[in-house]
Amino acid sequence: MPPPNQARPSRLRNRRRRRASVSLTPLIDVVFILLVFFMLASSFQSWRSIAMEPPVERGGGGGGAPAVLIRLHPGGGLDLNGRRVGRAELRRRLDTYAGREQPPRVLIEPRSGVPLQRAVRVIDLVEAAGLTRTRLLTDAGGGG
Amino acid sequence: MKLRRPDYRERPENVTPLINVVFLLLIFFMMAGQLSRTDPFPLDPPASASEREPAKQPATLYVAADGRIAVGGEDVELDGLAGALAKARDEDAGRLRLKADKGADAARVVAVMDRVREAGVARIDLLTVRGGG
Repeated sequence: MPPPNQARPSRLRNRRRRRASVSLTPLIDVVFILLVFFMLASSFQSWRSIAMEPPVERGGGGGGAPAVLIRLHPGGGLDLNGRRVGRAELRRRLDTYAGREQPPRVLIEPRSGVPLQRAVRVIDLVEAAGLTRTRLLTDAGGGG
Repeated sequence: MKLRRPDYRERPENVTPLINVVFLLLIFFMMAGQLSRTDPFPLDPPASASEREPAKQPATLYVAADGRIAVGGEDVELDGLAGALAKARDEDAGRLRLKADKGADAARVVAVMDRVREAGVARIDLLTVRGGG
């Protein structure tokens, strides 16, 4: 009986060796191509957003609610209801507005030449104060 | 037999660990990244403290730093915007994503939003990235 017992494992070993010799190179090629595709095509930027209602036209749609106007000037200045204020002053005033019984709507009017990043910073400031009804106002062009 | 043995040992290079690693990388990139249409021009979005996730619908309006506008992969002028918008978004009419460069003129962006309102969009998601405050 020993001879057949010895022969069987060796045949198994032979079969195993034959199966391992299947070429993996095409598989690796395809997987590499897929990998490169997904590396190049996918983006990892995590987007956030600011919800906005479309801007209002000057003089339109007030609805009777009180509103304050923040106007952004190119070069860094901004004024609140026509009075020039600094950033800290603006934050203080916004906090007072937010504490009122009926918080006013906030209209932000960027003059032409103001980069969007500044407008977004001011919107952040307004939302941080707790005023939610922010709207952008179209620049009437000069005047005021 | 004794002469052949060294040849025999060199032949099978073991590639299984390589395949394992490559597969893991592939799965990572497939799961973690998100495939999206590439922007029509390079955009540097503004940073904001907002933590709101943007809506997922694909209708997106692009405004470049130099004021160019694109909807649905093609450049449009301010006057042709309403028509192009009507074509680009047919299913979810009330919302739109706005991707604008942080250096773009804010007044220009507001003018674009004004046209968007005329086209009947009720809510705009201005896309930002996290950072700053």
